[in-house]
Amino acid sequence: MTTALDDTASVGGARRLAPGKPAEFGEGITLAVLVLFVTLICGLPMALLFKVGLTGPAGIDLAPLAEAMANRSVQTALWNSLESSVLSALLAVILGALLALAVGLTDVRAKGPLVFCLLLPMMIPPHVIAIAWIQAMGPGSPLLKPLGLAPEMGETPGIYSVTGLVSLLALQHAPLVFLILRAALRALPRELADAARVCGAGGPRVLLRITLPLIAPSLLASFMLAFVAALGNFGINALLGIPARYTTLPVLMWRRLASFGPDVLPNVAVISVVLAVVTLLAVGLQSLLQRRLRASLIGLPQAPLAYALGRARLPLEMALWGFIAVTLALPFAALVATALVPTYGLALTPATLTLDNFAEVLWRQGVTLRAFANSTLTAAAAAALIAAVAIGLGHLMVHRTGRTRQLAGLASAQADIAFAVPGLVVSIAFILAFLKPLPGLGLSLYGTLWIILLAYVAVFLSVGLKPVTAAYLQMDRSLEDAARVAGAGYLKRVRRIFAPLVAPAAASGAILVFLTAYNEVTVSALLWSSGTETIGTTIFNYEDSGATTLAAAMSTVVVLATVAVMVAMNGLARHVPAGSIPWRD
Amino acid sequence: MKKLLIAATALLFAGQVQAADVTGKLVLYTSQPNEDAQQTVDAFKAKHPGVEVEWVRDGTPQVMAKLRAEIEAGAPKADVLLIADTVTMESLKKEGRLLAHPAADIAGYDPAIMDKDKTYFSTKLITTGIMYNTAAPVKPTSYKDLLKPEVKDKLAMPSPLTSGAATIHMVALTGNPDLGWAYYEKLAEQGANPQGGNGAVYKAIAGGEKLYGFMVDYMPIRGKAQGAPVEFVFPEEGVSAVTEPVAILSTAQNPTAAKAFVDFLISREGQELAAKQGYLPAHPAVTPPAGFPARETIKLLPFDPAKALEGDAANKAKFTEIFGG
Repeated sequence: MTTALDDTASVGGARRLAPGKPAEFGEGITLAVLVLFVTLICGLPMALLFKVGLTGPAGIDLAPLAEAMANRSVQTALWNSLESSVLSALLAVILGALLALAVGLTDVRAKGPLVFCLLLPMMIPPHVIAIAWIQAMGPGSPLLKPLGLAPEMGETPGIYSVTGLVSLLALQHAPLVFLILRAALRALPRELADAARVCGAGGPRVLLRITLPLIAPSLLASFMLAFVAALGNFGINALLGIPARYTTLPVLMWRRLASFGPDVLPNVAVISVVLAVVTLLAVGLQSLLQRRLRASLIGLPQAPLAYALGRARLPLEMALWGFIAVTLALPFAALVATALVPTYGLALTPATLTLDNFAEVLWRQGVTLRAFANSTLTAAAAAALIAAVAIGLGHLMVHRTGRTRQLAGLASAQADIAFAVPGLVVSIAFILAFLKPLPGLGLSLYGTLWIILLAYVAVFLSVGLKPVTAAYLQMDRSLEDAARVAGAGYLKRVRRIFAPLVAPAAASGAILVFLTAYNEVTVSALLWSSGTETIGTTIFNYEDSGATTLAAAMSTVVVLATVAVMVAMNGLARHVPAGSIPWRD
Repeated sequence: MKKLLIAATALLFAGQVQAADVTGKLVLYTSQPNEDAQQTVDAFKAKHPGVEVEWVRDGTPQVMAKLRAEIEAGAPKADVLLIADTVTMESLKKEGRLLAHPAADIAGYDPAIMDKDKTYFSTKLITTGIMYNTAAPVKPTSYKDLLKPEVKDKLAMPSPLTSGAATIHMVALTGNPDLGWAYYEKLAEQGANPQGGNGAVYKAIAGGEKLYGFMVDYMPIRGKAQGAPVEFVFPEEGVSAVTEPVAILSTAQNPTAAKAFVDFLISREGQELAAKQGYLPAHPAVTPPAGFPARETIKLLPFDPAKALEGDAANKAKFTEIFGG
């Protein structure tokens, strides 16, 4: 039936669509369905959150907001959130920039494995990273203790502090900065640096006077991104912040809702509005900066630079691999060591070594198996759905003009907002929107896997959309015109022309979505229920109930699975637009 | 003799009917640690293979928050609740959310820990006392020992906002004329930071991050048996106790299986399982596990559930005021 409709439409559709002209029938429906769907899961819940937070029975009412802001714990949490996010973003920028300069400008060897290892922390869930560091730095540290370097018994480990929290956030977000800056270094107009060199400027001088000023906008933009990411982080903030008596906004919201239930929902909605506003301000500022960045740098990505370091190369390589050993191998080794002892607090020796925790997690605990199944299922379904939406929306956004483009752009903007605001804020918006039974159906989505799946689609749509729009930008439009002249209707063109061409980009986006959703805890922390546990909530729950050895065992399994998926993703590398797979050139 | 025979046949018959009828899905919300919950469920399923049990674990307040959200959503999923304290059960009973199970056999139990309307049933005694790391310089025997200068900043305790047992302990200690709220204020001065549940406290002390703390008995007693460097003390003032009651929700989808689950927990077999897991069983005739003193030597702090329920909100507010959070 659709083919018939498409064919009639295509009789008159052989011409190029002029701006403002009505779209083809199939295209119109696709547009309507996509925009409606995205609005329903991204726009509406957020709008409802703002409505609950900012209005009363008689229109706009800022009293609850003022009341929340006057609350001492909210003030402290807001201040703590801002402080830890600014400090950690600064540190992440310094760290990320140093790494990007070292890898992006010099001739250090083994760049592939180096970049893979440097980006690994970005893919490992923050709560797992926090658990690993706690074990690596505590008095019971299975690694520091035998070396005599562990803190004394009863001494609170330094990691439970603002410094510890800020450092872990910075380590988690430095790869983000590294990625952005490496791309910026690639796009640098090379002539400037060459000219300076010809004029006799040495390496450090070129760096300070030419390179750094040119990448300054990227530095600022990556600072804002790291700031926003830190603001929404839950795992590190909860696991390190709570023992350090350093409560941030996401933790405050989670604690109130988890301990008091829906009675405090309006109160928590008001606090989420505060967090959402801070985030959106930061994102707005960031996109402003990024627009400036586009104007200031000309040139397509080029082959990586490789200034010869000569004798300095080996020390730099040793420093880079040393950094990886300390930030990656050390906490992971601690995690594995904890997973291998029968009870927490016992030192790992050949006599105490046991695989029992792995057996418990992988075979005996019904909840773990369910969590693995739930996370795999929801993450895969969300990834597939996002890929499908992205193929349609990306095309309408990039290859169309006028009203169609505007509407598609509106949907994409809603997805960007849902991605930018912290996952916890989205899940509170989802509880508000979907807790009560749906009108007409009498069924509530709350407590089902559907609500987690839809929340994943809402939050990660933006991640999957980006590589697909990039692929559309590179695609020649004459392909579509040719198909249209040949009489192919919209759906047929999608099926035969666009979808196959952007499929690799959609697939790499989908895998990124899968990895992110598979490992997340912020979105599902408030949405999980009986039978719908996710990997993230299960690990968090083990750690929270004192079953640290089980949490460590499950974390180990998850890290290994993540690395396996990342390695598998390398196989896609040749078929996707440059930059779709973060750790590949 | 004839009567006895009839009774025996009836019993046998009843047993058969029960085993045949108990099938379907059973949803359990519990605050037991994962491993124990899984063992309990496995043991129950061995007896009733027709039942598919789905269970969720979280701290008692979190379990309640989840349940309240589901009630709000119009679809409470749990059939059975197995949570820390009777105070929470009392409040649910008041709201008419619990289903009575008149056929439950509670003969032999202390009536003080069972609801006379048979809407909830205590399954074990979980006392809260003091735990310490064996590397600690002070070996506390009284709550007041925790106010010594050597203990400063090395003290951990669970939060009543996260743990049902901690709520009862707070009510019991602050109601003791010798200790009172002044004692809690001094604990705050000692640097206690009650933010998590018992699990978090256990982890901190076993890992050596802290050296002393309030703690439920079974975690350190079990940990010590496995080689962890920890000790549990029944302080001289006494311990508080929760009874981990089980109850069936009035909205239960599968009341038959729910009743079978309750029957299993309070049966001899269920009580022996609890003892095997390292808990003090609620049934006085079942031998307590190794590591516990003789049952009659355990001194309980006086505690009134009705009064506790009445003052619950005020107590928690006062606690938050002292410790922040």
